[in-house]
Amino acid sequence: MIRLLNVSMMPPGVGQPVLRNLTLTVAQGEFRWLLGPSGAGKSSLLRLLTLETRPSAGQMDLLGMSVSQASRATLRNLRRRIGFVPQDYRLIGEWTVFDNVALPLRLRGASERDTRREAFAVLEWLDVAHLADKRPGTLSGGEQQRAAIARALIGRPEILLADEPTNALEDAQARRLLATFQELVDMGTTVIVATHNEALVREAPAASIVLQDGTLAGADTQDGIAARRSDRA
Amino acid sequence: MSAPVSPGLRSGSLPLLVALMTLLAGLSLAGLTGVQTLAEGWAGAARNATTIEIPSDTPQLEDRTRALIQTLHKTPDITTVRELSPQQVQTLLAPWLGQVSDSGHLPGLSLPVVLIVAHTGTPDLGRVVHEALPEAVVEEDRRWGERLNGLGSSLVACAWLAVSLIAAIAVLSVGMTVRRSVMAQRKAVEIVHFLGAGDVTISSRIAGRAALLSLAGGLAGLFFLSPVITMLARKLAPFSHDAGPAALPATTWQTMLASWWNTLHVLPRLLLEELGALPLIAACLGWLTAQTVVLVWLRRLP
Repeated sequence: MIRLLNVSMMPPGVGQPVLRNLTLTVAQGEFRWLLGPSGAGKSSLLRLLTLETRPSAGQMDLLGMSVSQASRATLRNLRRRIGFVPQDYRLIGEWTVFDNVALPLRLRGASERDTRREAFAVLEWLDVAHLADKRPGTLSGGEQQRAAIARALIGRPEILLADEPTNALEDAQARRLLATFQELVDMGTTVIVATHNEALVREAPAASIVLQDGTLAGADTQDGIAARRSDRA
Repeated sequence: MSAPVSPGLRSGSLPLLVALMTLLAGLSLAGLTGVQTLAEGWAGAARNATTIEIPSDTPQLEDRTRALIQTLHKTPDITTVRELSPQQVQTLLAPWLGQVSDSGHLPGLSLPVVLIVAHTGTPDLGRVVHEALPEAVVEEDRRWGERLNGLGSSLVACAWLAVSLIAAIAVLSVGMTVRRSVMAQRKAVEIVHFLGAGDVTISSRIAGRAALLSLAGGLAGLFFLSPVITMLARKLAPFSHDAGPAALPATTWQTMLASWWNTLHVLPRLLLEELGALPLIAACLGWLTAQTVVLVWLRRLP
């Protein structure tokens, strides 16, 4: 579960908050689109939720734990339960794709045999198993994106956050990824996907968090979902 | 190789830096040992020796000198009494008088009789000598010994300061190298951190690599130090009381190695142990410094 109460975020050296008084709750096992124009604060909200920064005001709870006063050890344990697909992939260039993807399991102390099995399963599912020994710098944008998705999925996270996860994928791959997200939701994972891709949102109607100028402009909603479904029809 | 869970240390210059520091530290330690040995020698020699000068115009010089020597032999704590020959006195005074073959050629100058008394403990030689021969002058070498001892202590302190400074410079160099490496891999370190890697997980991998590179640098430094120390030991061998086997002429590899091995016998065992420990000390310093630098750097991340 994700719970934000009057959360604001002001990065150091920036005169005004990039997020203001956000209050929202996303239940465990729920899917949400994160929508809004560029500069609305989507990436900032994702940075908060991936614990790359802490709120400058307000109360934020993730998976039943308060983040605001959490110790470093608590934050570290929370991070291991969150999967994230960044827009810029954030793969370690000196490592192979396999080592990048295997990292979350290795950090949890999984055996090397289990790590190999799970890493290759997810890489095969994303059609990039043949690239396991390559370095990210030699891959195309789409291949790097799939490697980043594999790293986010491998640990079966309790919260999955994705920032434009389909922008380098072909339509068929994007649809398949959405189906996977839905499977994770069915297994109890909370999924939040930030996107500009309206067609994708229309194709998979779900509740959304809409940001505008760092504030919550809308959060729905069965009505919104129904409206999008009727558009699609 | 273990599976990566954190970026390693990128530094080609670290082994070179550590090798140079090891070389300097080794030379300082060798200097320190030399100074310590000299200081101990000075202190020991000066503590246990006294010089007695009997002016040449003393009446009944020979008889009274003999009587004094007999008295000294009977005095407790005195081990030997040695009268220097006129040639030895001339040699002793040559820096002041110049080389004179016969004191008779210098009008108005006649050499005193000089007695060197070796003793244990601190007998009151001044009283004993003046009772027997009031004209004699007693030179308590102990006073010079105390001064030389003070000089020796100062030199030892300087040598320790040099060793400490070298260690401090080594720590600073390793620290700066590690920090530069972390900054160069900042993105990778942040990725690993935000995926849930513990601070110690990240720092241990970097510190392990720093320790390995420092050990390699230390061994290289020791390798280059060896001929320098051997050469110095050969130069100083004539001054050593325990000179060991004579050095062989270096013509082939085998004789060179044998010569090097023989020369090592001249070096004090403690110094050899200290030099052998240098690469391990370098590795420990590298590990500790890298751990500290990385852990401090990671504190800035939430």
